[in-house]
Amino acid sequence: MITEHHVKELLRSGGYIADDAIATAVFLALRMEKPILIEGPPGVGKTGLAKTLSAALDFPLVRLQCYEGIDEGKALYDWEYGKQLLYTQLLRTQIDSYLTESADLRAAVEKLSAEESLFFSKNFLVQRPILRSFLSEKRSLLLIDEIDRAGDEFEALLLECLSDFQVSVPELGAIGAEIKPLAILTSNGTRMISDALRRRCLYLYIGYPEFDREVEIVRARYPELCDSLTIQMVEFLRKVRDLNLRKAPSVSETLDWAQVLSILHVKQLTPDVVTMTVGTIAKHQADLQQVIDLAGQALR
Amino acid sequence: MERVITGFVTALRKEGVRVSPGESLDAVHALALGGMESREAMRAALRLTLVKNYNDFPKFDEVFDWFFTRDQLNPSGYEVSDFLGALIHIVEGEQLKSEEHRSKERDEPTFVVDDELTEEELKNLMGMEETDDDAGGADLMVQLDGNRDKKREAAPSDFYMKSPPTMAYNQNQTTRKEAPFTPEELTDMQEVVYRMLMRIRKDVRRMKEMENRGRLHVIRTIQKNYKHGMVPFLLSLRRKRKEKPRLVVFCDLSYSVSHATRFMLLLLHTLQNRLMHVRSFVFNREIVEITDRLRNMPVNCLLETIDKGDVINLDDNSDFGHVFKTFKETYLENLQGKPAVIIMGDGRNNYNEANDWALEEIREKAGYLLWLTPEDRETWPRGDCLMELYGSYCDRVEVVKSVDELSRIVEDLFCTLYDHNDTRVWRRRDRETGPEETYDYRDYYARGRSGSAPAFDPTVRRSW
Repeated sequence: MITEHHVKELLRSGGYIADDAIATAVFLALRMEKPILIEGPPGVGKTGLAKTLSAALDFPLVRLQCYEGIDEGKALYDWEYGKQLLYTQLLRTQIDSYLTESADLRAAVEKLSAEESLFFSKNFLVQRPILRSFLSEKRSLLLIDEIDRAGDEFEALLLECLSDFQVSVPELGAIGAEIKPLAILTSNGTRMISDALRRRCLYLYIGYPEFDREVEIVRARYPELCDSLTIQMVEFLRKVRDLNLRKAPSVSETLDWAQVLSILHVKQLTPDVVTMTVGTIAKHQADLQQVIDLAGQALR
Repeated sequence: MERVITGFVTALRKEGVRVSPGESLDAVHALALGGMESREAMRAALRLTLVKNYNDFPKFDEVFDWFFTRDQLNPSGYEVSDFLGALIHIVEGEQLKSEEHRSKERDEPTFVVDDELTEEELKNLMGMEETDDDAGGADLMVQLDGNRDKKREAAPSDFYMKSPPTMAYNQNQTTRKEAPFTPEELTDMQEVVYRMLMRIRKDVRRMKEMENRGRLHVIRTIQKNYKHGMVPFLLSLRRKRKEKPRLVVFCDLSYSVSHATRFMLLLLHTLQNRLMHVRSFVFNREIVEITDRLRNMPVNCLLETIDKGDVINLDDNSDFGHVFKTFKETYLENLQGKPAVIIMGDGRNNYNEANDWALEEIREKAGYLLWLTPEDRETWPRGDCLMELYGSYCDRVEVVKSVDELSRIVEDLFCTLYDHNDTRVWRRRDRETGPEETYDYRDYYARGRSGSAPAFDPTVRRSW
């Protein structure tokens, strides 16, 4: 039987260092077939988790990036008007001959409407990400990214999809998922997600990692950095996070910085090194000076 | 196992964490799956299924630690079923403990309601209540509630009822002690604002649909119907109105209204640019425009800057007369359109020049003048309060004491602005009444009731 420990190992093999909460969430989501809602500051590896999982579990990744004004035509399905029109044009002669036999107009309309389903069949249905992941032949990973950017209506739209794993198309009825995908929703918390949606998901909060885990993350990604530098770097970044900056450096910044330091062949952090590379960890003009000042104090 | 989970969920609910029955079922389901090896994994599993809000995590951890206090009892490696079996034992043990407590309480009844009740004892009491099924529980609960209230800080509810001199004194004493929002306050407010925004948006959408009933927009109609072979199935009409409503807000920074001010700033911060053009000013003696700062700064930083006294000198006492005069001289000419003006303040002028002529000019320029004060009407005639004088110039004066009231009033205002954006409609009627009557403090009140101007009275809201 697969356990949460296995999940952790699996993620580690994909280069993602998970803590207990993350591993348990993935484990439960796989077993209970429930979506996971991940919240947390930007850059802590919410989307990264989904990508790693998709690669490690060999689930094809179906990604839906949310934005303001996204609707069912973009997320679930759409009718292919052009194709429908084209087919009616092409089939005109057939339709003509088909209808000539009917006695009067009423009969013709009846006859035609009996064949209506031809034009509203799966043939003309454009599958958008959610439907595509439901109809995928292999178990897929549905990533609904940054759901807080989408509006309320879209959230409501998701309720049916996520609780029953089905999409209702008025002309066709409900299309259910043969194989329920592993659904992962991410949110940066810029907006409160409604309770109804939260209730349907497992709720995972990924914050800034613990010291050990962050060191491990850097090591896993950039093994060429020497240990003392990695530790020094992570220690410094933790202090930076306490500074109350406008944009605190996240894990992605840590990794960027590690990459920069490894390219520059830095062996030890000094105030000069920080001043030189401060742009990778502080992303606001007002923050830059604060970080440099801190480096002056902390790395002396 | 179900019993343990139910007990745990009840404990969570007692702490104010909302858990639905479906979520408890999920938790049971999750634990039944097995495969969780460590205590941390158990914790994670319960947290994943039961708690759906980051702010509730500390509470959850607290309850978890207290409910499953058994680091020594469950060394890792236990099978879940064994583990849960053990839990049941322990819960039963706790029941025994609770009996001990009860006997103790019978001996010295004052112990439970003692002021010096520690956090831990309170927890124990809660535990007792959880596992307690017989009638004795109710009494305990009452006592417990009493204690809970004691732990809460006293709210300064009687603050506004104090006599003006005391108030002025307090005002000077406490101006700068006010801390910026705590994260919880901030999220609370954000939620209120968000919900409000949603409601407003709905109204706005409806209003926009109404607006769209203008002349035919030929080009857009053709564009829209391209796919129908130019047969105009879908019509596109010209919008009647293109401009967002304008709003000018004055916020008093003195202590007496600071809470409302803070909420107002947050509200404006959220609404800025989304639904309307807002220009915001803060004042006590001097007036400063903070529109740009609101746009570029998180609201908490802004409040800190204000609290540090960087924006205006907080040692000054508020001087409404001076403020109106300065505003008239500096900003009034540049006001675009006919904005609605909202003033937040207690009208306590510290015996300075009233300068009500300036307010009258502002009123002439403004489409609508609304004054929000935290003071009850009865205390207006006392001391240095010019509320009655100033109130007579306003289209409406409201007593606002809580965030809820404020949000309701602002919401009404927005709805009305959107509904009657045409300035001709929501401009006040010219004052037909003579000057001797205008100084009657009931004047604006009566006007609000009887006037044909759009009623801002929330009770007469249309039934959309």
